[in-house]
Amino acid sequence: MHIMEGFLPVQHAIGWSVASSPFVAYGLHSINKRFREQPEQRMLLGVAAAFTFVLSALKLPSVTGSCSHPTGTGLGAILFGPTAMAPIGAVVLMFQAILLAHGGLTTLGANIFSMAIVGPFAAAAIYRLARTARLPFGFSIFLAASLADLLTYITTSAQLALAFPDPSGGFAASFAKFAGVFAFTQIPLAISEGLLTVVVMNSLVRFNARELQQMKVTTAQELKA
Amino acid sequence: MLTEQSAYTNRWRKVSPVAKGFFSLCGTIAAFAAGSPRTALLIALILAAATIRGAGIPPLRYLRVAAPALLFLAASCLSLVFSLDFGGTTGGAALYPAVAEFPRIAQVCCRSLACLTALLFLSLTTPLPDIITLLRHCKLPDTLLDLMVLCYRTLFVLSEAVHETITAQSARLGYASFRLSLRSLGSLLANLTVQVWQRSQALHLAALARNNDGALRFLESSHANASKSISIAAGAGAVMIALAVALP
Repeated sequence: MHIMEGFLPVQHAIGWSVASSPFVAYGLHSINKRFREQPEQRMLLGVAAAFTFVLSALKLPSVTGSCSHPTGTGLGAILFGPTAMAPIGAVVLMFQAILLAHGGLTTLGANIFSMAIVGPFAAAAIYRLARTARLPFGFSIFLAASLADLLTYITTSAQLALAFPDPSGGFAASFAKFAGVFAFTQIPLAISEGLLTVVVMNSLVRFNARELQQMKVTTAQELKA
Repeated sequence: MLTEQSAYTNRWRKVSPVAKGFFSLCGTIAAFAAGSPRTALLIALILAAATIRGAGIPPLRYLRVAAPALLFLAASCLSLVFSLDFGGTTGGAALYPAVAEFPRIAQVCCRSLACLTALLFLSLTTPLPDIITLLRHCKLPDTLLDLMVLCYRTLFVLSEAVHETITAQSARLGYASFRLSLRSLGSLLANLTVQVWQRSQALHLAALARNNDGALRFLESSHANASKSISIAAGAGAVMIALAVALP
């Protein structure tokens, strides 16, 4: 769920850019470290950014009958790690703004914060928690992808509510309004994206177990099980 | 992609990206500096006219590129029009039009529209590799620029792979129902994920064969009369900002 170009007041646009920059900077630092240890990761992350962009252009069938596009937040975080997703997400969001006029350059910081920071970190944390709690692999993936999607949209609603508080009810009423309005599309979308991510991961486990092990998504023991 | 087609075929294709980037930035500043919705609309009109009349982008193509963003803008503005009251007469929450907020909402919508036209000016007149060169001049980290270059160079390859797979799946009724759509899309993405892995390995080998030692380096395209273009863009941009500040 992108925030439109020029929609946020200038203080908020700058504020969210400042809030996002340490995460992007740390992501770049961790990517540089990965590049030094495994030089082939340079190409992998570049192609992964293109993959995320292409993913966002696909039509995702929604359980309500409408269709939208997957965010790829959960899948990307599980495959490439949450820290790498901040710079990858920044590149993808910038490309979406320039090539598709989706989102914007002034709102890039806010969109990075919700989609490339909150979403991936939430997905990675939920996936790890679910695996620690010994939940089934497919259910862990579903929880990670769908809850990351929901948290992304809740963050965007909070960003909009902060920028445009309700004249009578303030932040709380505005947040309830934005979250309520977007819930009609975002909750079915989150469920669809969760199901889709499970189908993708099941296919990968079945046909590309070696690649998943190399990406450190699953262990040899998990694959045997 | 319509944006890319326009960026490579417009009249200002050979104009320095610094000049176009600067003019677009001035447009954005003017949009934020505009004191009223009418002034923001004037800025939007100037930027749209510069793109259509100046760069020679066909108006219909401009509208086709702008249409999804305009619809999104309309939906975003509509969400601002209504206010939520928790302490209504019935005791529950009630949605009502926030009439007193209409001037502020109009200002936000017109500002957003003007910013959108500034963004469209840049994206429809400047190919993405030129924008990446511009960002390189702005001293963005090399790693981020490498990601951008690799992303740009492979996204069309992956898009083609997606298009061909969807055609093949559709021919086998792979998208006939919700369940089939989800299954087809899932196998398409799983296949694409593996392609990401395999293509990146092939790219790495190709780079190694060319003695790549880390960062990716590309020749920059040169632009004739760059300083003249930058001066004109700076002048026009300054006039636009002055208009936005001076007009009520």
